[in-house]
Amino acid sequence: MALRVAELTFLEYFASRYNIPVPRHISGAAEIHEIKKSLEGWGGEAIVKADVMSGKRGKAGAVVGVKNLRDALREVKRVSSVEVNGKMPRTAYLVEKIPAGLEIYTAITYNSAFLGPSLTVSLVGGVDIEEVEEDKKATIGINTYDGLDAYQAGEAFASLGCPKDLISNMSRVMVLFWDLFISCGMETAEINPWRITPEGKPYACDFKAVIDESNYKAKVPAAVFPEYPENISDFEEEMAEWSAASHRGQAHVSSLEGTKILPLLFGGGVSTIITETLEAAGGSPIFLSDFGGNPPYERMLGTARICFSHHLARAKLLLILGGKANNTFVDVTFQAIADALISYVEENGPVDVPVVIGRGGPRLVKGLLAMKQALDYLKLPYVIFGPDTPVTMVAEYAAKLVNGIVRLEEV
Amino acid sequence: MRAGNLADLLKKGDWVAVSNITGREASHVSAVSQKYCGNISGGWALGKGGQKIETSKGDIPVFATFEELFRLTPPERLPNKILVYSPPEAVFGEVKEIVKYGEKIVETIFIVTEHVSVEVTAKIYQICQQANIDVIGCNTLGIINSHDQVRIGAVGGETPEESFRPGSVTVISNSGNMVGTISSDLLSAGMGSSFGLPTGKDKLILSPLKELLLLAERDEKTKLIVLYVEPGGTYEHDALEAIKEDGLSKPLVVYVAGEIAERHHISLGHAGSVVEGSKSSARAKKQVFDGYFGIEPFRFEKKYHRGPVLSASLAKGIRVQALHHIPKAVTLIVSVLGMKKDFSSSKPLRLNPWFVSLGELGKRLPADLSPSPGIVPEPYGEQVNEQSKHLLTGMIRQSMRKTSHASSNDGVTPRIYGYSLLDIMKERSLAAALILYWTGELPRDKFEERLAEMTLMAALTNGPGTISAQGAKLATSAGNNPNTAMIATLATMGLTHGGNGAKAVRFLLDSFADLEIDDPYREYGELQKLAVKTADDFKKKKTAAKEAGIEYERIPCLGHPVFRHEAVNYDPRERIIYSYIKESGRENVFLEFYHHLVLALKENGSTAVVLAVNVDAVIASVWLGICWPQIREKQMTITRAVDISFIAFALGRVAGGAGEFLDHQDFGTEMDMRIPVKECRTLTSPRKL
Repeated sequence: MALRVAELTFLEYFASRYNIPVPRHISGAAEIHEIKKSLEGWGGEAIVKADVMSGKRGKAGAVVGVKNLRDALREVKRVSSVEVNGKMPRTAYLVEKIPAGLEIYTAITYNSAFLGPSLTVSLVGGVDIEEVEEDKKATIGINTYDGLDAYQAGEAFASLGCPKDLISNMSRVMVLFWDLFISCGMETAEINPWRITPEGKPYACDFKAVIDESNYKAKVPAAVFPEYPENISDFEEEMAEWSAASHRGQAHVSSLEGTKILPLLFGGGVSTIITETLEAAGGSPIFLSDFGGNPPYERMLGTARICFSHHLARAKLLLILGGKANNTFVDVTFQAIADALISYVEENGPVDVPVVIGRGGPRLVKGLLAMKQALDYLKLPYVIFGPDTPVTMVAEYAAKLVNGIVRLEEV
Repeated sequence: MRAGNLADLLKKGDWVAVSNITGREASHVSAVSQKYCGNISGGWALGKGGQKIETSKGDIPVFATFEELFRLTPPERLPNKILVYSPPEAVFGEVKEIVKYGEKIVETIFIVTEHVSVEVTAKIYQICQQANIDVIGCNTLGIINSHDQVRIGAVGGETPEESFRPGSVTVISNSGNMVGTISSDLLSAGMGSSFGLPTGKDKLILSPLKELLLLAERDEKTKLIVLYVEPGGTYEHDALEAIKEDGLSKPLVVYVAGEIAERHHISLGHAGSVVEGSKSSARAKKQVFDGYFGIEPFRFEKKYHRGPVLSASLAKGIRVQALHHIPKAVTLIVSVLGMKKDFSSSKPLRLNPWFVSLGELGKRLPADLSPSPGIVPEPYGEQVNEQSKHLLTGMIRQSMRKTSHASSNDGVTPRIYGYSLLDIMKERSLAAALILYWTGELPRDKFEERLAEMTLMAALTNGPGTISAQGAKLATSAGNNPNTAMIATLATMGLTHGGNGAKAVRFLLDSFADLEIDDPYREYGELQKLAVKTADDFKKKKTAAKEAGIEYERIPCLGHPVFRHEAVNYDPRERIIYSYIKESGRENVFLEFYHHLVLALKENGSTAVVLAVNVDAVIASVWLGICWPQIREKQMTITRAVDISFIAFALGRVAGGAGEFLDHQDFGTEMDMRIPVKECRTLTSPRKL
């Protein structure tokens, strides 16, 4: 459960609250005379940026410099519609251009090497940190209870040979950065780059963060997180709403644009490897799913209904597969799927999709018999496996079976 | 870590305490664990002190807090292992309490809870490290030690002995489910397990792989290690770096999942799988393992040529690309390195369909795609035979014209839900037969049977003035037959008279929606709180409705037209049933809730006196208690439960109506129910056409 934050929210909400120095900005939707006034106040120059939930905006042409009002207005319109890594911008905004001789990278994140938060800094800013050589970046662990002290940040900068007259200013803003990070329940936050003016004053010139929604601080104080256009299908959107409606049992799906197998899968780990196996064996799964976590009957019924209403009509095979459950009651989940299937047929007329099932876990036999009974009633062809057949073998079989059926149809 | 080897995480003789033990999952898992190994000394749950978790190996005591558990548990049973099942917002507090009171005794905390914030996870790590306590999790499933036959948490599900037979493989996995699946698959290669350890898959895994490998290295019974790895974190890189320094004498077999997420730019359900940085990707993890092993991933169809090069690589291990190749890869390593299998017999993994019905499609498919049904292994085979008998009746929607679950007659024996009516007549009561006919199951004990009987009696009559009794009398007075008088009794019941019980069932189901009630006849500490909340909600609605000048929905089955003049009022029929429940040493949570509710309504000023809990309420409470296990197990629809409550009242009252008919027929005068014209009033003045 993570909430992503882009630069515009940082500029509008977080930066001022935590006294982090940032360039002045104005929304691209502001009145023309307001934009004109801003440009005049900023020395006639500005950077137009797309407000999009994706990195690498510059490479996509969604960050451009402008020197007059006419260019500014044109670029606001243009970058608002530039797709970045498949993501559409929400809007565009203008920021003051900060003259700089140096750009610095900083990030605070929970780090698996420290099992706690850490600060990473580099004097090579403005680029992807993965591309920076190891000896040009420094990472220090932060005591979760004590927080980040200025002297610790100072030592990190000093270890990289940071100009001495900058260390004090950068250390101070790092403490502010930590305050923002820890006060808002963030799990990772990156300011890249800090642009350092010739006078040695740092400005945070880009920002991205992930807020941990499991952290109560994520809700206090109540920042407004705008909605960004998502490239998600109606199916994913409906399931996401359904998933958010309750924490009892998982209801995760991600469309894969496959065309053959409709997979109802159980267990985060197992569902991933089943889907990988299906893809590798040519099963063309329509989506990736995880419906484990012992969903109650109504939860599973609703989940199955959504899957069927969106995909059953065009699926070539229905696969219901999971490993040996530890907690999930197989009879409850399978009865719900069986009922959803029968309801679907009652509402939409007969289907002839073959069904492959594999499962293990508490109250297995009752669950398998409930499914078998429903399939017999609906006269659907089926093959049902128990936990003695590995899930990946079942997945391989399902992939071969669906391709066999497709070949028959072609003949 | 504090632990020096894997057995330090769990061994025979360790005692376990479980937080939030009365929760749905925790109580169920604890009962299974207790049956398997009996290592739980107690549990705690806020507000639930004094309760017990019943298990087949004796009761597990429940304390109010960890401090109380620690104070009242005998020294020889003090828990050194803690299993945390608390909700996410409570986990930090629980850990702080464990650290405070359990210092020097508690060695390991296993945190099962999902959705614990990463900040809290980091804080837990820090305080536990200072207190010299190891933490596994968050979001772990627990641990199992197969040789000692002990487990913590749900590892192995209901039947841990099925998947975890003592052997020489330790399985360490980011996924809880995979520990059981892999251990089970390994049996096919003649290999058992020494430990199964799901690490959890949150962003921070507090038992890093490099430390677990060190523990496995020191465990004498572990000869080989299987890893199931997901994207996220740099644990594997760090572990292999550590191995380069310290060495690892035991081969690894590794499966890395999750590359699909990177390929499709999606994040997996697991929080820790959000890929950050190149080292944490599935692809990078695959590469780093392949580099360490110095051999390409295992290929099922490849013929491996033995020699020093292969031996040297396999001594380090190999990566597999399909999960079901793990047993094959383990077999290869065991064979090439001259290791011993754990069991002489082994059965290769294969497709074994239990049920097949491909019909016409099967005839058109190639033989390998149209398998014949295999043999269902035990204990499932027996279960299939047994359960098929019951399930054959079918609980799906279908044409019911010639079909019934409820009754049958094979020409010899009439039956109710499969039970011989003749046997029921000989051995059981009418109440038992009715419970069976209405719910599909016999009563669980005599207590239920007697309660049901009492509700039928209570419904018989409340005097001749009741609407339904009047219905019977009217029909009799008009010269009708008994069946018509009985129908008239039924016809004069409605939503207000008699139907209130059905409303009560819906009201109770709504009120108890968020409460985990396993046994409706046990005491639950939260009822008073629930009643106060319900009363306060009602007051708000009532006030708002009054201000708006509109009608508000009343709480069903409170108050009575006769029993209403005292400061505290009772319906005497309800009292009899209530007393019987108490004398039996039991509770009925729904009826108890009703009593808390009438007090709370008086307390908050919604009512002037304490209203009577009326007979409809007690009928609803009793029958909801009888139906409860099936409602919880989703074996009964809500509609049926609602209807049963009404039917119970109607059946009692229609018998009462018959009594009124017999009396009235014998002693009434002709047309005596007619009201003389002069006694009738008109409210309309005469008008002309």
